[in-house]
Amino acid sequence: MEGVTGYIGNFSVTIRKKARYVDPELCNACEECVKVCPVSKPDEFQMGLSSRKAIHIPFPQAVPCSYILNMDDCLGNNPIACGKCADVCEKEAINFDDADEIVTREIGAIIVAIGLDVYDPTEMDEYGYTRFENVITSMEFERLICAGGPTDGHFVRPSDHQRPKRIGFIQCVGSRSPKVGNPYCSHICCMNTIKDTLLLADHYPDTENVVFYQDIRAFGKSFEDMFQRSKEAGSRYVRGLPGDIEEDSESKNLVVTVENTTSGKLERHELDMVVLSVGVVPPKDLAKISSLLTLSKTSDGFFMEAHPKLKPVDAPTRGVHFAGFCESPKDIKDSVCQAGAAASRAGALLNAGEITIEAITSVIDEEACKKCGLCASVCPYGAITWKKGEVAAVIEAACAGCGSCGATCTFGAITMRHFTDDQYIAQVHAVLADKPEEKVFGFACNWCSYAGGDMAGISRIKYPASNRMVRTMCSARVSEDMVLEAFRCGAPVVLVSGCHYADCHYIDANRQTVKRVNRLWDKLEKAGVRPERLQLEWISAAEGQKYAKVMQQMEDLRSKVTLEEIDHAREALKPKAKKRREATAEKAAGAPA
Amino acid sequence: MTSTMETFRCMMCGHEYQEKVEKGEDIERSCPKCRSNSIRHLKKRKGDTK
Repeated sequence: MEGVTGYIGNFSVTIRKKARYVDPELCNACEECVKVCPVSKPDEFQMGLSSRKAIHIPFPQAVPCSYILNMDDCLGNNPIACGKCADVCEKEAINFDDADEIVTREIGAIIVAIGLDVYDPTEMDEYGYTRFENVITSMEFERLICAGGPTDGHFVRPSDHQRPKRIGFIQCVGSRSPKVGNPYCSHICCMNTIKDTLLLADHYPDTENVVFYQDIRAFGKSFEDMFQRSKEAGSRYVRGLPGDIEEDSESKNLVVTVENTTSGKLERHELDMVVLSVGVVPPKDLAKISSLLTLSKTSDGFFMEAHPKLKPVDAPTRGVHFAGFCESPKDIKDSVCQAGAAASRAGALLNAGEITIEAITSVIDEEACKKCGLCASVCPYGAITWKKGEVAAVIEAACAGCGSCGATCTFGAITMRHFTDDQYIAQVHAVLADKPEEKVFGFACNWCSYAGGDMAGISRIKYPASNRMVRTMCSARVSEDMVLEAFRCGAPVVLVSGCHYADCHYIDANRQTVKRVNRLWDKLEKAGVRPERLQLEWISAAEGQKYAKVMQQMEDLRSKVTLEEIDHAREALKPKAKKRREATAEKAAGAPA
Repeated sequence: MTSTMETFRCMMCGHEYQEKVEKGEDIERSCPKCRSNSIRHLKKRKGDTK
């Protein structure tokens, strides 16, 4: 995929169809070309454990079953250099002049299923992956024991091509470590190792297997049963990760030193082969796809879903869905479930033919727009189109109504339907019309903070009655003027609250909240108003306790704000135009008739 | 990845602290002392040493 434009139901996708140099319609996979091809390269599918020719079938189950020519490896059609494959091909299927084709497709929904990459253990030198031949990864083990693998399923060790009889598996290689590799659990390695030990026990009952682990996570259906069967089949599980591996230079056997944390003793195991149970990492192409589809990533580098519990297959960008590993590490069953769900979501969308969106989208006043493009830069959905010197425009089907653009536009050119600036200012005035000095004024986002208040309420958690919360769809909807107006109306303390970073319901709109509150602190300080009177808190819908605690803190803060401070803020934060008008009026009133 | 030492102040308890910030990092900040999210990023002024 080279490019994507458009929005839900109306995507236009540009695809590069790579040249095969072999016509799949003509090729009958007779293999004559392979026999004469002089170029041998490591076979990527077999993890480099065997070789392939420049002309090859990528993997045995490839569809269509026809050859492709890797032009980076090929010597070319120069008769002096090569061109042998074309000479022997009776079907004349080989075309050296083939070229990449760029095609454009109009599509309604996109399912992102770009898979995963495997962790490269070369940085973990203590396991000797780059130093010892008989230390292999779980992916290499998979190829060695596979009937379609480089050894036709005869399991041998790389150093002497003899069958290993004592095999060690080291778990969590590149996973669950904040120091080396990744901090997250890769989800599949424990069960993969258990499966491997059962395979070995089945194929070679005399094999001794030792699994070095920190925790075995056998959580799925029948997984615990598999784990028990592995132990019953003779596999030994040692709780502890090895600190070092040494190689016997003659036999090429490996000596693994490990502290058994169950017995508290240091153990040394002599093994014929060690399998590193490597974790998984986000695929290399993830960043490119992320940029093409305006998708966000979670801290572990995988794609962020629209909601971790309620929309686990939807991307925050409407019309885009996830299937498999690209969203988070998961096993085959979960991947199949998610793929089915993603297909259903896309199917439902396409069958409906039209979508219903909430009428809370933004509207741009073309007359008032100053063509600055700030609104487009802060929209987390890419729902605002803008070109230099042109008025911005909203794609309503893509707009989710967070209000980030409305709060950013200082020219009043953007109206958020049903959550307009005037409505908010009216609420500020209404709340602070009477005894404002006794109130804590706050803005709470619809999805988390406001719901956190509800949670505190239904949980009967007591908190001071002084708070007055105004609901916004997102904390990013809170404009500078809304906060300043609250201070102008005599609010002693103003609280802006929203979802935690990971839970923002509008991708990452609440990062704009942070920037805005930081700017407001600077402004307040400059105006001689204590910036501490403006507070920012992330409160989730489940954090009723935190909501109550924050409200108590706000009340404590409010009780320390003096009436003089409130009056000073009212005056100091007056808009400049209003100040000028009042000064002129005062001057006129004082002037002699 | 480039990182710089930045100064932050908690607007709730007043605790001021320094933290290493990676360029382009996107993390939720909270005060190490009182856990408040009211964390103000204190910008470097001219003449401040890195």
